[in-house]
Amino acid sequence: MRMGTIEISVGAFVLAGIIAVLFLIVQVSGINFSEADTSYTVTARFDDVAGLRPRAKVSMAGVNLGRVRAISVDTTYGEAIVEMEIDGEPGNLSADTSAKILTEGILGARYIGLSPGSEEDTLKDGSEITETQGAIVLENLIGQFLTSLGKD
Amino acid sequence: MENLLRRIGGRTLGRFQTLGRATIMWIQAMGWIPKTGEWSLLIRQVYSIGVLSIVIIGLSAFAIGAVLALQFYTQLSRFGAEDAVGAGLALVLLRELGPVVTGLLFAGRAGSAITAEIGLMKTTEQLSIMEMMGVDPLRRIVAPRLWGGIISMPLLTAIFNMVAIYGGVVVGVQWLGADAGGFWSGMQSAVEPLEDIGKGMVKAAIFALVVTWVAVFQGYDCEPTAEGMGLATTRTVVTSSVLILAIDFFLTLLMYGDF
Amino acid sequence: MRQDYVIEVEDLCFVRGEKVIFDHLNLKIRRGAITAVMGPSGTGKTTLLRVIGGQLKPDSGRVLLNGKDVCTMSRDELFRARRDIGMLFQTSALFTDMNVFENVAFPMRVHTDLPEDTIRDLVLMKLNAVGLRGARDLKPSQLSGGMARRVALARAIALDPDLIMYDEPFTGQDPISMGVILTLIRDLNDALGVSTLLVSHDIHETASIADYLFVIADGKVIGEGTPNELRDHPSSRIHQFMHGDPDGPVPFHYPADDFRFDLLSEVE
Repeated sequence: MRMGTIEISVGAFVLAGIIAVLFLIVQVSGINFSEADTSYTVTARFDDVAGLRPRAKVSMAGVNLGRVRAISVDTTYGEAIVEMEIDGEPGNLSADTSAKILTEGILGARYIGLSPGSEEDTLKDGSEITETQGAIVLENLIGQFLTSLGKD
Repeated sequence: MENLLRRIGGRTLGRFQTLGRATIMWIQAMGWIPKTGEWSLLIRQVYSIGVLSIVIIGLSAFAIGAVLALQFYTQLSRFGAEDAVGAGLALVLLRELGPVVTGLLFAGRAGSAITAEIGLMKTTEQLSIMEMMGVDPLRRIVAPRLWGGIISMPLLTAIFNMVAIYGGVVVGVQWLGADAGGFWSGMQSAVEPLEDIGKGMVKAAIFALVVTWVAVFQGYDCEPTAEGMGLATTRTVVTSSVLILAIDFFLTLLMYGDF
Repeated sequence: MRQDYVIEVEDLCFVRGEKVIFDHLNLKIRRGAITAVMGPSGTGKTTLLRVIGGQLKPDSGRVLLNGKDVCTMSRDELFRARRDIGMLFQTSALFTDMNVFENVAFPMRVHTDLPEDTIRDLVLMKLNAVGLRGARDLKPSQLSGGMARRVALARAIALDPDLIMYDEPFTGQDPISMGVILTLIRDLNDALGVSTLLVSHDIHETASIADYLFVIADGKVIGEGTPNELRDHPSSRIHQFMHGDPDGPVPFHYPADDFRFDLLSEVE
């Protein structure tokens, strides 16, 4: 085979490989390029974040607002501290926004759902969300249920 | 009893010796940076190793993607979780099947071809006379194939993943009727570039190194007879496959171990 | 300053595994002549060529190539030395991924910076010298054994070496190719003014062409001289070798019991 043809096919091969990688990155992981734009950090404390992982969604009314950046624990109070990255400039969430840890579907991944508050002031970079509800852990639920049964 | 221990000890020492020879060969060959006239050697190798493997990789990818989508759909629809087909398919492919299956196919097709080629050159004394002419066979024959394999395999893995996902789309969405929107968004929310694609490609790169190394060494080291060549080719496929699966096991534990 | 001897092997010792291949071997190859190293199969004749070419390192001893010890040469020195040696293997060892032209051009491209036009002319000249200029576009798989050997010879003389080494060039040749090879070896040696070292166990052909012979056995030289001198050599071993006697110092019978005793013994 002539060298020219070989070079062309090798070039095409490498190009195909690169396109495949790009396809995977863009189409399959759905990476959002606007994420590189501005964002600000907000923290929240929960009594139980069972199942919540970094990079989990943060959304309001089902619309994606940001991502969980880091999860750490306060061993003095036994609370989990969740750091969230919210897209855009500070000022779109009121200061008394509440955060709940929810589950997608029945068996799905955990995410943080935000519900709007009523205050005029808004969350700034570094603010903390004070109204929180931790993850619903099945065992606790069952335990509550059994206890309430026993009361009757 | 003593005899058995002696044989095991001898075999083990023999394996260490082989590994030593293989490492020396690798070190001598990897330091190869093509001089101006030598690029064509590398390009030729990428062609015969990579480009010629596209057909088998592509066909297998489509088939596997289709089959996976089918199986996932069947099982997940029992829980009403059809929307997870996209996610499941993508994650399994990117993290595991893409690198592993590509590696196995590569070992079988390209790996054995490399071994046979080099083995033939050794058996017909081409390597020897090349050396006598002052040309280092490690530079001219071994190194281009090593680099050709290391470049080709990750590219093939990416192509495999893409085609397999497409195969899954064809079966899952167009044939079985999973919801296209759910399929893609489920996939996109579950797949993360660094975590899944990145680690998958790291695996592919490691497998590329291992398979190409084994293939080249087996050819270079084989007994210069027809029988020796045949044995070497078989050994390439078997050793590569075993190593891929074993390394995959450890890598998976390492990468994803904290479930 | 050119030595009289292009190769001097001094006290060469080489052991492979348990087998002693060379045991203080000494020989000198004269410049400009055809020298043959002969001996029964397995005496390490090919190994000798590889040691001279620097591919194998001996356990002790020196191998002087134009006065310089091959075993202590640096990589660059060895590279330059190899440019002046042409080698012909028994298997021709043509590069199977190239055609005839490319094979002969290979050493030129490796060792020189000659432009392609010059290389083309040189290749055609070399191929013409061996009678295969018309076969330049064929691939090695399309050549007969004899033709392959001639191409390999053209490749060996590509850079006008001053030493050509032949490893068993006469083995398995039909009469015509045999005649061709014999003619080429003689003509090249005389026309190009090279020194020729030939390793073989084909007495008849070798004796017809060599100017000087060495006979090696048990890792040592057991006789040397011109073909005529060796034919009348007093040593019975050499006599058996030169004349091809089936029985002599190398016995016909593999060691066994007395024949009559064996026949008359009971079946065990």
